[in-house]
Amino acid sequence: MRKLALICVVMVLAFLPPPLLGEVDSALLQDSVTVDLPEPPAPPGNVTATDNPNDNGRAIRVTWELSADDTTGMKNVIGYRINRAEARDAADSLWTEASDILPSGTTEFIHSGDGEEDGPDYFAKNYDFYYRVHALTADTFSVSAVVGPVQAKDNWYNTGVTFVLLFVALFIILTVTFVRIARKGKELYIRPLAGIEAVDEAIGRATEMGKPTLYILGLGSAADIATIASFAILSRVAKKVAEYQTPLLVPCYEPFVMTVAQDTVRAAYMDAGRPDDYDEDSVYFVTSSQFAYVAGVMGTMIREKPATNFYLGMFHAESLLLAETGAMIGSIQIAGTDQIAQLPFFVVACDYTLIGEELYAASVYLSREPVLLGTIKAQDWAKAVVVGTILAGLLARLLVDLDFIKTVFEVSV
Amino acid sequence: MSVGLITSVVFIGGGVLWILVQSVKGRDVDRRWIFLFIGSTVALALLFHIRFGEKATPIVKAAFNQIENLPEGASVLIAFDYDPAMEPEVGPMADCFIRHTLARKHKLFLMTLWATGQALMTNTVEDVLKPEFPEAEYGTDYVNLGYKVGGFGVINVVLSDFRAMYPTDAHGTLLDSLPMFNKVRSLRDIDLIISIGGGTPGVKEWVLFAGNRGNIPIVGGTAAVVAPLLYPYYPRQLVGLLGGTKGAAEYESELTGNYDRFKDMDTPALRMMGPQTMAHVVVMAFIIIGNIAYFRSRKREGK
Amino acid sequence: MATGNGNRKSPSNAVKIILVIVAVVFLISWISKATTGMADSTWLNIRDGFLITFAAFLTLSIFSFLYNDNPFYKFAEHLYVGVSAAYWMCLGFWSIIVGNFVPHASKTLSTFFKVPFQEYSWFYYVAFAFGVILLMRLLPKAGWIARWPLAVIIGTTAGFNLSRYLHSDFMSQVGNTFQPLFVDWQGAGHFFSNLSLAADGQLVMSAGNWIVVVGVLCGLVYFFFSKEHKGMFGAASRLGIWILMITFGASFGYTVMGRISLLVGRITFLFDDWLSIL
Repeated sequence: MRKLALICVVMVLAFLPPPLLGEVDSALLQDSVTVDLPEPPAPPGNVTATDNPNDNGRAIRVTWELSADDTTGMKNVIGYRINRAEARDAADSLWTEASDILPSGTTEFIHSGDGEEDGPDYFAKNYDFYYRVHALTADTFSVSAVVGPVQAKDNWYNTGVTFVLLFVALFIILTVTFVRIARKGKELYIRPLAGIEAVDEAIGRATEMGKPTLYILGLGSAADIATIASFAILSRVAKKVAEYQTPLLVPCYEPFVMTVAQDTVRAAYMDAGRPDDYDEDSVYFVTSSQFAYVAGVMGTMIREKPATNFYLGMFHAESLLLAETGAMIGSIQIAGTDQIAQLPFFVVACDYTLIGEELYAASVYLSREPVLLGTIKAQDWAKAVVVGTILAGLLARLLVDLDFIKTVFEVSV
Repeated sequence: MSVGLITSVVFIGGGVLWILVQSVKGRDVDRRWIFLFIGSTVALALLFHIRFGEKATPIVKAAFNQIENLPEGASVLIAFDYDPAMEPEVGPMADCFIRHTLARKHKLFLMTLWATGQALMTNTVEDVLKPEFPEAEYGTDYVNLGYKVGGFGVINVVLSDFRAMYPTDAHGTLLDSLPMFNKVRSLRDIDLIISIGGGTPGVKEWVLFAGNRGNIPIVGGTAAVVAPLLYPYYPRQLVGLLGGTKGAAEYESELTGNYDRFKDMDTPALRMMGPQTMAHVVVMAFIIIGNIAYFRSRKREGK
Repeated sequence: MATGNGNRKSPSNAVKIILVIVAVVFLISWISKATTGMADSTWLNIRDGFLITFAAFLTLSIFSFLYNDNPFYKFAEHLYVGVSAAYWMCLGFWSIIVGNFVPHASKTLSTFFKVPFQEYSWFYYVAFAFGVILLMRLLPKAGWIARWPLAVIIGTTAGFNLSRYLHSDFMSQVGNTFQPLFVDWQGAGHFFSNLSLAADGQLVMSAGNWIVVVGVLCGLVYFFFSKEHKGMFGAASRLGIWILMITFGASFGYTVMGRISLLVGRITFLFDDWLSIL
C-alpha cells in the first residue's frame, strides 16, 4: 500500500511544473522512507462527468466540489488535475492526464480534443471513458472517486438557439399569413418614404439633362442583406433608365457583385422591352481596394457628371468621399445603407437617405407586389413582438426584479 | 512652443474671422479656401510642435490595466486588422501594445485577417519589436502567424484549433516546432486578445466570434469612425477600448508615465493630438459659422 | 472655375510649364534624398530616395483633386486603380488557391508551391468546381450555369448570418434593453435624500437607462412601415428619428476626428519623411 502511494507521488511529481518539483524533490530525498508522508488534502467530492452539450462530440464536461482543504480546512490545495482512463479499475499507469494543473477554486473542466486520429488531441466519439480528479498540495495529493462510464456524443441540435428557432418560426408564420391576406386582394397600407418617391423623378431629371445615372452598390458582398436589397432597387432603376433611354453607369467593387449586377441590369432591359440597348460595359469592375475604388469612381463622377447618383448598399469610409464629390458636381443624390456609422454622411451630403431598414423595404415600395407587401406587414408584426417583449421584460424587472427573461436572452451560441 | 501657439492662434483666429465676415455678408466662400485653411492649421501645429497633455479615460485605463494585471508569461494575441489608410490612427496603438506586452514578459501571438495588414505587421516587428526588445526570441516570446484569407471564418476555426488554419507560421515554420505552441492549441488557450482594426473583420468580429463564444477577454483598438459602435460592448464584451488617435495618445501617456524605459519613446499619437485639437477648434468654428449663415439666409428669404 | 479648361485638346503653355516644374522638383528631391540617405549602399539610397519622392508626389497629386480634376490626379488615380486590382488578383491566387486549396488538393502541387500538404478533402474540390462553374459566365452559351454557385453562395451565407445575427445582434440586444428603470431603488425617500448628479449616482444611472429604453422603443416605432405615423404613434416616431439624428451627430464627430488624424498622418509624412523639416 505504502509502495503504491509512493508510486503515485512520483507520478504526480513528474507532472508538476519545474519550480514546484525542485522544492518537493529535496523534501522527498530527505524523508523518503523513514518519515511519514505529509497529510493529503481531502479529496474533491461529488465528481460528475457528462457529455458536453451542443458540440461535435469531442468533449466531456467534468465537474466536482472543492476539496474541503481548498478554501477551508488546511487551505493548502494549490490546484486540481483531471485523469482519464478507459476502465474503472484501470491500473494507475493507464490513467492519462486530461488537464494541466487547474488553479485552486476551479470546479469545472471541459476535456476536449479533435477528430484527428493520429493527432495528440484525438478524442473518440461514443466511447466509454472514466474520470477522476486529483486535489494537489505542494507536496502531496488526494484522488476522488472514479466516475463513468461517460461518452462524448455528437449533438444534432444546439439547445442554446431554441429561441432563435422559435422566433424564425413565428416570423415565417406571420409572413405566410400576411402574404395570403395580400394575395386575396386586401389593400395593405404602407407609409410613404420620400427617398423612394424621388427615384423616378431623379431618373427623369437625368433624362432631361441628357446625362447618365450612376448607381453604386457599395462595398458589400453579394450575400450581404444591404447588397441584396440594392439589387432589387437596381433592377427597378435599370428598367426606368431603359425606358427613358439614358445611360447607366454601375462601377463595382466586388467581382461577384458585378456578375449579379450585370444579370440584374440585363434582365431589367429585357423587361423594359429594350434588350438591344443594354450595354455590357455599363456594369463594370473597378477594383477591390477601397480607396482605389473611391479614386476611380470620383474620377468618373467628375468626368461624366452624372445627373443622378444612387448609393445603395453597404458603405464604409468611402461614403462621404463619394457623396461629397456628387454634391460638388450638383447631382441629385439618393443614398441608403444599414451601416450606422456611414448614415450621418449620407444624411448631410445627399438629398434623400434611406435609413437602415428603409433600404430593405425600398424594393417593396418600388414594386408594390402584394406578396412583398405581405412581408413588410409581417416584419412590422415581428417588430411589434420585439416591442412587446421589451415592455414585458422591463415590467417584469420593474415589478419583481425577476431576471428570467434576461437569462433566456443570454443563451450562448 | 509659445511663439508657435501664438502664431497658430492668430492664423486660425484671422482665418475664422474672415470666413465669418464673408458668410455674414452672404457671400459664398469657395470650398477650396476651407480645405487650404484646415490643411494649413494642421501644418502649422505640426511645424511648431504644439502638444497638449493627455490623461487616460477609464475605458483606456481599463485596457492598460488588463495587460498590466495578467500574470507574467501570459499568452496575448494581437490582430493587426487594418490597412495603410488607417495606419496613422491605429499604428501607434499597435506599437504601444507590443511594447507593453513584451515589457510585461507576455508571450505575443501576431496575426492579421487583412491582406494589407501583413506588411504593416512586419514593419511593426522590424521597427519596434526587434530594435527595442533584442532579448525577445522568435518562437519563444513572439510568433508571427501572418495573414489568412477567410475573414471571421478564420476566427471560427482557430477558436477550436490554430493548426487547422495555420499549419505553419508566416515564415513557413511548423507550429509544432515552436515552443510557444506547446501549450496553445486554440484561441481558448489565449489569455487576452487585442484586436486592432477599423473595418470588417475587426474588433466587432473578434468580440462576436471569439470573445463571446470562447469567453476570452478582448481589448479593442480602433479607428475613430467605428468607435461609437463599439462602446455598447464595453465593459461586458470588451474589456477596454482605444478610439482613434485620442485613445492611442492616452495609452501612450499611460505607458510613458508608468514605465521608465518608455519615458523617451516615440509618441506619434501624442504628437498628432496637437494638430488634431487645433483642427477640431477650426471645425467647431465652421459649424457655428455655418449655422449663423444658414439662419441669416433663412431670415433674409423670410423677408 | 478651372485654369486651362478651354485648352482641353492641346495643353497650353501654362500646363507645359507646370509639368516641367514638377519634373524638376521631383528630380531635385530624388537627388537630395539619394545623397542624404542613411542606408548602407548607394543603390539602396537611390531606390529609397525615389520611393519617398514618388510617394510624396502621389500624395500631392491626390490632394490636388481638392482644387480641381487635373492630369496629376488622373495619373495617380489610374495608377492606384490598376496597381490595386492587380494586387488583389495576385493576393487571391496566393492566399486562396495556393494558401487554401492546394494544401488540401494535391501533394505534387503542394511541393511545387512550397506549402505544407495537409490532407485530402473533397470539400475543396467541390469549392474548386464551383469556382470553375462561375467562370463559365465568360462563355455566352453556358453563362446561365454560373448562377448555380452564385445561388449556393448567397443562400448559405444568408442562412449562416441569419441565425448568428438573430442571436448576437438581435436577441442579446433585446436582452440588453431590460435595464432597471430605477437603479438600486430603495424608496422615494432614499432617492430624494441622496439626490446627486454624480456619473455613477442613482439619478444619472436611472436617467441613462430611461434614455436607452425610450430610444430603442421610439427607434423601432420609426421603422414601422405599415402603420400611419399619426397621433401618439407619430410622436413616438418623430422622437425616434430625433434620437437617430443625435446618434448620427455623435458618430459624425468621431469620424471628423478620424479624418483629421489621417490628414495629420499624411502631412507628417510630407514634412518628416520627405522634407525632413520636423
